[in-house]
Amino acid sequence: MPRSMPPLEVGVSKQVTRREFLNLLGAAGGTAAALKAGSALGLLPHTAQAATLDLRAANPAKRKVAILGAGLSGLTVAYELSKVGYECTILESSHRPGGRVFTVRHGDLIDEIGNRQYCEFDDEPHMYFNAGAARIPSTHRNLLAYCKELEIDLEVFINENKTSFMQDPALNGGKPIRNIDYTTHTRGFLAELLAKSLSAGEMDQPFTDSEAETLMSLIRSFGDLNEDNLYKGSLRAGYASGGFLEHGVQKDIIAMSELLKTQMGSRFLNASEGDTGPMLFQAVGGMDKIIEGFTNHVGHQIHYRSMVNAVEVKDDGIDIAYDQDGTHHLLQADFCFNCIPSHIMTGITNNFPTQYVDALKYIRRGTAYKSAFQAKERFWEKEDIYGGISWMSNPSKQIWYPSAGMHKQKGIILGAYDYIDGKLHTAMTQEQRIEAHLTDGEKIHPNYRNQVEKPITIAWHRMNHMLGCSARWQRDSDGWTHEEEELYRVLQQPVNGRHYMIGDQVSMHSAWQESAVMSAQWALADFDQRLQA
Amino acid sequence: MLKTFLVFSLCMVCIGGTSAAESEREPFDDRYCTTCHGTDGRGNEGVQAPRLAGMEPWYLRRQLENFRADIRGVHAEDREGTAMRPMATKLTDESIDDIIDWISSWDYIPAEATIKGGDPLRGRGLYGGCAVCHGANATGNQSLGAPALAGQNDWYLVTQLKNFLAGYRGAHPDDTYGAQMRTMVSTLRNEAGILNVVSYINLLSR
Repeated sequence: MPRSMPPLEVGVSKQVTRREFLNLLGAAGGTAAALKAGSALGLLPHTAQAATLDLRAANPAKRKVAILGAGLSGLTVAYELSKVGYECTILESSHRPGGRVFTVRHGDLIDEIGNRQYCEFDDEPHMYFNAGAARIPSTHRNLLAYCKELEIDLEVFINENKTSFMQDPALNGGKPIRNIDYTTHTRGFLAELLAKSLSAGEMDQPFTDSEAETLMSLIRSFGDLNEDNLYKGSLRAGYASGGFLEHGVQKDIIAMSELLKTQMGSRFLNASEGDTGPMLFQAVGGMDKIIEGFTNHVGHQIHYRSMVNAVEVKDDGIDIAYDQDGTHHLLQADFCFNCIPSHIMTGITNNFPTQYVDALKYIRRGTAYKSAFQAKERFWEKEDIYGGISWMSNPSKQIWYPSAGMHKQKGIILGAYDYIDGKLHTAMTQEQRIEAHLTDGEKIHPNYRNQVEKPITIAWHRMNHMLGCSARWQRDSDGWTHEEEELYRVLQQPVNGRHYMIGDQVSMHSAWQESAVMSAQWALADFDQRLQA
Repeated sequence: MLKTFLVFSLCMVCIGGTSAAESEREPFDDRYCTTCHGTDGRGNEGVQAPRLAGMEPWYLRRQLENFRADIRGVHAEDREGTAMRPMATKLTDESIDDIIDWISSWDYIPAEATIKGGDPLRGRGLYGGCAVCHGANATGNQSLGAPALAGQNDWYLVTQLKNFLAGYRGAHPDDTYGAQMRTMVSTLRNEAGILNVVSYINLLSR
């Protein structure tokens, strides 16, 4: 039955046509159909189960395994192979296990080449900083399965906090605005535009009456529109005053023209989607509690300060030459699992096939950079902020408020996180870095400089034994090229059935602990299958 | 040796009254070189860190001191130099001595040729100018302050020649030898000339 809707009155430059809506409906149907075809459960893509490894017991004559690097993937291999009787030796070049799962506490050495630091945070359980891995998405089920098996206590990681800030000199005269103000008003204006576009068309088709009503109600609700489908502000942004014992007074709207002055919205609105969408977890007391869970079982296998010099894959085994305490050593093993960063492995003598070396050389190293401060008091809690992230348009980019330790006297906050290109801060002296973060942070918290102390910085590009953050396979952002995918497959396969490269670097989704774990599990499954063959 | 010395001095500090916790801190020394420069300093293309094994002690010292004094590795376009400089900034004279001793203990094995596209025949002609200081076989000449080139990673030589040509290296007023290199490298004219001369150096051996 045809319906009439009020015509569009103002200012949308281009109306949504009926054809566009038909296309939209068609596309949605196509996606749903594809999902259904791909899974017996229709819209649920897969059951929530971690991979189960069913490794056979080691052959006593071929049970010696060398593991290069005590990062998460190396420890996963050691843990699984030890369960079934392999004799594992882990060579770790640094003084600590965990690789980029690095939690910094009182007294810890941050071994940046040319800028060594000792962390001077107060010596208390909640005073730590996750300088590398910091978030566990609830969909990273293989890592979570180990957390369960190893009895690692988890707690919720707060990624988005509606009371945290967004700051850009272009927006609101440089005065920070709350997440909730930006998101409420932006949603309101977007919904109003959408409602107007919909109302404008003669929308007798393709919607049924009921669909059209549901859609309009969804749009109204999304943006908190009034009965005329207009956005006139919303109590969702909180009250200017009152709200409990007195009537709440609605805050003023921030005009859409003002909100459009910042370029940050596109990053800000998707910051808590995908991998960083709810729910996220962290290990109670620091992410390295996960590493501790593994080392409780295989820690005795780790040789620290043992730098690998050469890897020689032979027909009947594999020789690993390494230096420890100024002495040359030789480790002879039947198999080897190697999580040394690709860009460091290229400098270690080896007899790998040319294509394999080409693959190692192809990967670029990430430049991520983080910094943290000890806060003398939890000043953010006085601003209704508990956990979450404030976003800044300046190079320090983010301030993270701790997800734990609420209402304690002090806390550790992240003062900068450049996950895209940390080279800017990496190139600075320690003093310059800290001054930059103080200056940037003051834009949000005016008294910041006096409220924080004992800074640390982690420039992953210069960390000893690391020289980089997560691996970058793709030269450009348009996706994997055919050549890149080929090189990736080459590196995933073992050399002579004996040497596996592992770690998040041998995944298509680097930078996550899940990728490190899954890479190790893939190698173990392949290894087991080859032994069976 | 240096590590032992540092551990020892840290212990002395705690006897001197610093808290016990500090003595438990992870000690360190300045022997970082192989993290970037690879096994026995043979160079690592993955991080563009050149071969150190076989470099002359006097040349190593000059470069470490230049990095330390902000004479080399300050131009923003000198990517590798700017990565190296902060690592040298905090080295003491003793650390530099120790590093040079350490590097001297490594076996020298010539680097493999990797570059493509150079014409060694044309390169031989161009090398004439280089030979005056670096020697006909590119084995270097200490009295002229010219290091050996033969056996060095070819990708490193290419980068450095480009840097000299563009003024990313050797432009600092206190870099006397760098200034000479900048004058000489102009005869190579462009990237093709650089590839030609380095592909010729690849044929020379020490």
